[in-house]
Amino acid sequence: MTVNQIVDELRATRPAAGEALRLQVLTHASAPAVTEPSWRDRLRSRRRLLLALPAAAGLAVVSAVAIGVTRPEQAAREATAPPASVELQRSAGTPRSAGMTLVGPSADSSRAQEKAPAPFAGRAQRYSGSLTLAVEDTDALSEATQRALSIARDLGGYVVSVQYATGDQGAASLTLRVPSTRAAEAVTRLSGLGTIVAQNVQIDDLQESLDTLDGQLERLRAQIAALTAAIDRAETSAERARLLERRAQAQAQLRDLRANRAATAEAARNATIQLDLRTEASSGVAAPGSRLDRALDKALAILAWEAVVVLALAVALAPIALVALAVWGARRAHRRREEDRLLAAS
Amino acid sequence: MTLEQPLATRPPASLAEAAEAHLDDVYGYLLYLTRDRETAEDLANSTFEKALRLWSRFDARRGSARTWLLGIARTTALDWFRSESRRRRREEAAALAERVEETFVEGLSPELETALASLSAGEREVLALRIVLELDGDATARVLGISPTAVSTRLSRALKRLEERVNEG
Repeated sequence: MTVNQIVDELRATRPAAGEALRLQVLTHASAPAVTEPSWRDRLRSRRRLLLALPAAAGLAVVSAVAIGVTRPEQAAREATAPPASVELQRSAGTPRSAGMTLVGPSADSSRAQEKAPAPFAGRAQRYSGSLTLAVEDTDALSEATQRALSIARDLGGYVVSVQYATGDQGAASLTLRVPSTRAAEAVTRLSGLGTIVAQNVQIDDLQESLDTLDGQLERLRAQIAALTAAIDRAETSAERARLLERRAQAQAQLRDLRANRAATAEAARNATIQLDLRTEASSGVAAPGSRLDRALDKALAILAWEAVVVLALAVALAPIALVALAVWGARRAHRRREEDRLLAAS
Repeated sequence: MTLEQPLATRPPASLAEAAEAHLDDVYGYLLYLTRDRETAEDLANSTFEKALRLWSRFDARRGSARTWLLGIARTTALDWFRSESRRRRREEAAALAERVEETFVEGLSPELETALASLSAGEREVLALRIVLELDGDATARVLGISPTAVSTRLSRALKRLEERVNEG
């Protein structure tokens, strides 16, 4: 008997279920299903898992973009602000007469306005500020320089010196003087000309020096008046000559003191602001991009964090998953071997 | 007037419809596996009871109802083989031999019947699926939980052995 004959005979004698079995099975099969799939059954469904993975990835991307779009300003500040912190230093115990210094970078002009202190009204104070700003390129450097000069003039001040140099990398250094009463406004407006790299404001109280000078002047004037009266009463030419010499000395001191006072008052009247402008390549600071750029930056940063979290979870769970996989594989292999043994022995 | 699609090309609407269409296949497979009509009928009943409980999980996109039912029948038969194995260890082997029918498929020639009885259940199983029920290689592989290549190898060996036994007799 050939294989083909065997196959033909096997197919020709294909078994059929008896009527009793058919009736019994069809009766069972026609009954309503007794169980519904549990939530575990549903969870086990590989199709749902396959859907869950892209859904989770999509949710992560959408949330990152949403946060990036709604909160790009924070990203801009994080991107542009150097890591140093703003520090306000003030001498203890001398709140009005001592110097006050504000140092550190600021991210934008509004923050500069908050941080830059104004001189105290009614007191003579020397206001010195320095700003280092980054601008995009040499064109922006030229424009920022022109605008700085214009700001100084608008505020009733003037330019003490300007140094301007361009090449592969441009830089400009301006020394400006503006009325002290408008110094804070000047710092605020100037800080808007670029990205703040560094900022320093120094306020020194000069009122005490002025008061001292005024007292010395008063005493000298009284001394001169007394000497003049004594000269008139002098009885000898020798005494008269000695008093005249002393009055001349006092008058010379008076002139020095007046000049000194005038210089101090001038220092209090006008603030000095040192403005340094640099192109980005030389400053090493990136200017904030457009809102879209910042939103994308933020979204990418959030996605990166999400990836880090997922990676950390994967690293933590990988050993457990590997062990579970190994156990599952071993059990399956064992079961298959056992089934093969059973079927071979039967 | 609507023309009904044949069951071979569409998934069954209910288990009753699937049972009507594939009961003979399930029974035939179990008969070849167990070589006992009474046992095959019991196991066919158990198979459809299980199928009724699991019917809501049946997904026609992952395989035909026939393959799905034969998979359940195989699991049911393996459970039976396990319990038989335990029972056989407890009882004398002779007791089991009395239960096995000499003629389990009507119409088979005695030499083929004897040759089939000498094969293992695993060999009869692949013959039943590929030759008697005419399942293709992929469907058979799904039922047995092995690769299509392994199915071909098993079938080839089983046929060769069967041919040898028939011609020996």
